[in-house]
Amino acid sequence: MLLIRCPYCEQDLPELEFAYAGEAHIARPQDPSQLTDEEWRDFLFIRSNPRGVHFERWRHVNGCARFFNAARETVSDRFLCTYKAGEARRDISALTGGAE
Amino acid sequence: MTVMTASFAAATITELPPSARFSLRTTDPIAASASLGLELPTKVGARAAAGARTALCLGPDEWLIEAPEAETPALIATFSNLEARLPLSAVEVSDREITLALSGPAVLDLLATGCPRDLAKLAVGSGCRTLFDTVQVVLTREAEDRFHLTVWRSFAPHLRALLDIAARELAAGL
Amino acid sequence: MTSYRLANRGRVDHRKPVRFTFDGKRYQGLAGDTLASALLANGVHLMGRSFKYHRPRGVVSAGSDEPNALMGTSRGLGRFEPNTRATIQELRDGLEATSQNRWPSLAFDVGSINDRMGSLFSAGFYYKTFMWPRAFWDRVYEPVIRNAAGLGISPTEPDADRYASRFAHTDVLVIGAGPAGLAAALAASRSGASVMLVDETAEPGGSLLSEPSVTIEGKLAWDWLSATLAELAALPNVTIMTRTTAIGYYHQNLVGLAQRLTDHLATPPADAPRERMWKVRAGQVVLAQGALEKPLAFDGNDRPGVMLAGAAQTYLHRYGVKVGDRPAIVTTHDSAWFAAFDLAEAGAKPAVIVDIRASVDPVLTVRARSVGIEVLLGHSVTGTSGRLRVKSLRVSRLEKGGAGTARKIACDSVLMCGGWTPSLHLFSHTKGSLTWDIELKAFLPGKKTEAVHIAGAGRGLWGIAAVLDDGANAGTEAARAAGRNVTAQSYAVTVDRTGSGVTVKELPTDRDPAAAKAFIDFQNDVTAKDIRLAVREGMRSIEHVKRYTTNGMATDQGKMSNINGLMIAADALGKQPPQVGLTTFRPPYTPTTFGTFAGYHQDATFEATRKTPIDPWAQAHGAAFEPVALWRRAWYFPKAGEDMHAAVARECRAARSSVGIFDASTLGKIEVVGPDAVTFMERMYTNPWAKLGVGRCRYGLLLGEDGFIRDDGVIGRLAQDRFHVTTTTGGAARVLNMMEDYLQTEWPDLKVWLTSTTEQWAVIALQGPNARKLIEPFVEGLDISEAAFPHMSAATCTVAGFRARLFRVSFTGELGFEINVPARHGRALWEKLWQAGQSYGITPYGTETMHVLRAEKGYIIVGQDTDGTLTPDDAGLNWAIGKAKPDFVGKRSLSRPDMVARGRKQLVGLLTDDPKVVLQEGAQIVADPNEPKPMTMLGHVTSSYWSEALGRSIAMAVVADGRARDGETLHIPMPDRTITARVVKSTVFYDPEGTRLSA
Repeated sequence: MLLIRCPYCEQDLPELEFAYAGEAHIARPQDPSQLTDEEWRDFLFIRSNPRGVHFERWRHVNGCARFFNAARETVSDRFLCTYKAGEARRDISALTGGAE
Repeated sequence: MTVMTASFAAATITELPPSARFSLRTTDPIAASASLGLELPTKVGARAAAGARTALCLGPDEWLIEAPEAETPALIATFSNLEARLPLSAVEVSDREITLALSGPAVLDLLATGCPRDLAKLAVGSGCRTLFDTVQVVLTREAEDRFHLTVWRSFAPHLRALLDIAARELAAGL
Repeated sequence: MTSYRLANRGRVDHRKPVRFTFDGKRYQGLAGDTLASALLANGVHLMGRSFKYHRPRGVVSAGSDEPNALMGTSRGLGRFEPNTRATIQELRDGLEATSQNRWPSLAFDVGSINDRMGSLFSAGFYYKTFMWPRAFWDRVYEPVIRNAAGLGISPTEPDADRYASRFAHTDVLVIGAGPAGLAAALAASRSGASVMLVDETAEPGGSLLSEPSVTIEGKLAWDWLSATLAELAALPNVTIMTRTTAIGYYHQNLVGLAQRLTDHLATPPADAPRERMWKVRAGQVVLAQGALEKPLAFDGNDRPGVMLAGAAQTYLHRYGVKVGDRPAIVTTHDSAWFAAFDLAEAGAKPAVIVDIRASVDPVLTVRARSVGIEVLLGHSVTGTSGRLRVKSLRVSRLEKGGAGTARKIACDSVLMCGGWTPSLHLFSHTKGSLTWDIELKAFLPGKKTEAVHIAGAGRGLWGIAAVLDDGANAGTEAARAAGRNVTAQSYAVTVDRTGSGVTVKELPTDRDPAAAKAFIDFQNDVTAKDIRLAVREGMRSIEHVKRYTTNGMATDQGKMSNINGLMIAADALGKQPPQVGLTTFRPPYTPTTFGTFAGYHQDATFEATRKTPIDPWAQAHGAAFEPVALWRRAWYFPKAGEDMHAAVARECRAARSSVGIFDASTLGKIEVVGPDAVTFMERMYTNPWAKLGVGRCRYGLLLGEDGFIRDDGVIGRLAQDRFHVTTTTGGAARVLNMMEDYLQTEWPDLKVWLTSTTEQWAVIALQGPNARKLIEPFVEGLDISEAAFPHMSAATCTVAGFRARLFRVSFTGELGFEINVPARHGRALWEKLWQAGQSYGITPYGTETMHVLRAEKGYIIVGQDTDGTLTPDDAGLNWAIGKAKPDFVGKRSLSRPDMVARGRKQLVGLLTDDPKVVLQEGAQIVADPNEPKPMTMLGHVTSSYWSEALGRSIAMAVVADGRARDGETLHIPMPDRTITARVVKSTVFYDPEGTRLSA
């Protein structure tokens, strides 16, 4: 059970309070009708699934109820950072540069 | 040293009578505060009180407003007035949930049987939404040795059963 | 019987005898004994039979690493436990222990024939022996193997004990209360940090309990221990837990502890759980688990009476038990010499010390000879004798390339020591790396991944002084890392018996090594030659060797066998041990009961059962219940003598002919409020909402972004900016989560908020032609006539004096109302309606009747008639799509090529040719029942009932191109027959014009 920092509560809290919510920074297109079938397919189904740093969404569902973003190392299963929904994707090199 | 075999005074669990409860949502807490007669706190977990009326900040735009049951009509009127003036949602949830008062010197141990948070760090007069067992609850710390646990009505018997088992376990002293 | 108990020795209470039985025979031990020490005190070494060969076995260790002395223990019905380690089980009055894996008795066991036929059971025998004939596998081999397999007998009764769990948070968690752990806990606690100190045994002290002559800070070990425990006891920030095993070490210093609470008590207090699982989140962890002694591998190293030298020392000092009168010592490490000296001092007459090493510290040999012990350096042990207890040792001088002429030495016990291996299990759980220490021939903790400090023998240190100082350092480091200030202490220690040793592979022999039974893994009966065979047969990785031989795969997780197995595999492969590698240790560290994992989740608290405010009424009126998500819902209300079919038929008739009353409180309810409420609704649901008038309702259909149906429900507009949304019972939480997701992350600009009101309202549905007549007298402040309050109306009013939200809706096709009142009044309102309804023959109905009535009308149930692959068109719900809306969740997907392709499964009605036949839900549908298997399956039955209103069966099904098959006959093959049915494109079986809705 991980400890996850909720960017809204500003506390490290038990994973049991949180729910995973898929890859982050995949915005719903403003006007889906303008997308080709292939573009819409990619939006719906294609995800990066990296071995390494993954940007993903979590929800503090049993807490402040906010969705937020996180960068997590999928090999070590460590969170590198969490940040509020709507904020820009964090710079990976800045996150991994100092560590290890 | 906490000797685990020592006998604890059993923690006490009491169901509280109904109160007026509203889920208040707004992005403009300052404007709403005046009508409510208390300043809505903006830090998640913080609680403000004015007389018997309290506002617990559960999320960045969410407050649980609680007051004696007799204040229900007044609060309904206040909120409908506010809704007309501000982008705001107030929904009565008085019957949605049940509140249990948990108290006694072993109250932290009682809560630790189901709550993953470190509640020793929860300051008196503040609260949080968290889990007990698998069930979402709102906890407030009323005193060093007294918590209120608010849970959706249908989950209350399950939590009550668990808490009773835990209280007996604490009384057994092992 | 001779007693091997030594007066005035050990930490047992010589004034407190404890009675117990082993295989039905009565014995007496002392308070403070383990089952193993009490049996040894009675001269009993034979404690079990081995797993594969059924060889007689005695106790090998004095701790949780015990592979042999596994027993069944019981304290009555539902309280039997197999595979209890006799070395861990504390003696209690009335304890009943039975040996395992033997028939008819421990001394004479038929299964030991396996031992003679050992050649049949070599490594990998499963893979080789049972290959042919293939047909024998199911009927012969597997049943026989299953019957013979397994250790002990699994109890069949439900566990009568209760179990507990607890979360805990601490600055510093110290695992292991030996000298290193105690020193660490002292250092950390003096800084003011909160400290938890846990130990898996009954008493803190660790190796100090077996080393009473050592002095620390001028005090004898046990005095220092008392003083230290007293100091810790006086500190409010310290918690000490014994009988508590750290079983798993997880991310971010979450450590699982299994605490045994009552197994040692003769009479456990009422309400006390048997065991408790602690989930401890620690800022810093100190691992002070010490080291595990390794056995030596020689022929016959498993006879009862052969045990670890350190264990013998523990039995002597901690329990006051002499394991034998004439022990023989076989060792590669100095520590066993001290065991021999201690036993000699206690009155035993050690026969010999055989050391594989050619030379040792002369102080040891001088001392041995001075107490009359023969010393054989540079010797190997090549065999033992004795059927149920070792009688002699066969010894040969080591010569170049082997062993010389043998000699027999009589003994009644053999104490072996193959050196010590740091206990790395928990460290390995963290995925910390291990490094091979060439000097020690041992793996030591390497790179850390957690805030962890390893102290003492657990990182290869030896001797009390070194370990104490290291523990103090680790505790200091941990306290500092936790932001506290403290200076490390150094300990003055005398009579510290430090020493060293070597690690070896199996001992050389003068005989055929292939005939030797030199056990590596005692519990799984794996020998040195099995490991060499595995390498010969092509296993190169230690992971393969492990699985081929099962070395280290028993419940002891290779605590004794892993390094010995590795040394032999590395030798056979001609590689260095680190090149061959170590297998992965996984949690739990020691076998842990299911009960400990389950905690409070048993019986009534197995999981939450949600009940509505009206549930007690249903219970009192004899309802049968069914689970729906976490809810229990009234299923039907049988009267005396009625079966389910009769009850449901009666309930259906009542709702269609007069009035039925139904508890709909479980329906999910979400209040959507805010100036942008209608915009939000337009975007979420397929339907148009902008023009829905206040006080009106509409059926809402919710899709996923993939275009498939996710949920549905009736939605009322209570005000311009306030919607009362209902969802399916099971979908309530999911739908709210989905809505929050869109609102928070896609449309954060919308001024609208969502509040779950599922439990705010109790919901009572009144359905049937007399529904209005029944409810009308109760309603205040609202005209509910057909004209003023038609079908799909919603209003706030008062019903029977309760504030209410009244909906004119129907899930039955009849005139109907759903009354929402604050939950606490639900039951009272129900009772009032029940009373008033008597004159109409009001009939309570359950979920089954609700299903039948809605199926007669062709109303779908999301999740039953849909399965996550149905589009609105597939379900015949295109009418629910707002065609003019530019966008809504899922809209773009509805035009994807696959979604508009021919051949999609569509929801249709099915009428069996024989009206009395009710199809099975889930049954597959084919066009041609004579097609060779596998037949082309067109779809399946989703809903199927006896329709009382129609006097025949009805069904809904998803069928490929279903609507185009209107009138076609399809086939439903069942195991005993094939049923024929006709497709009807409309699923509305009853009152297709809907006239009954507006009666």
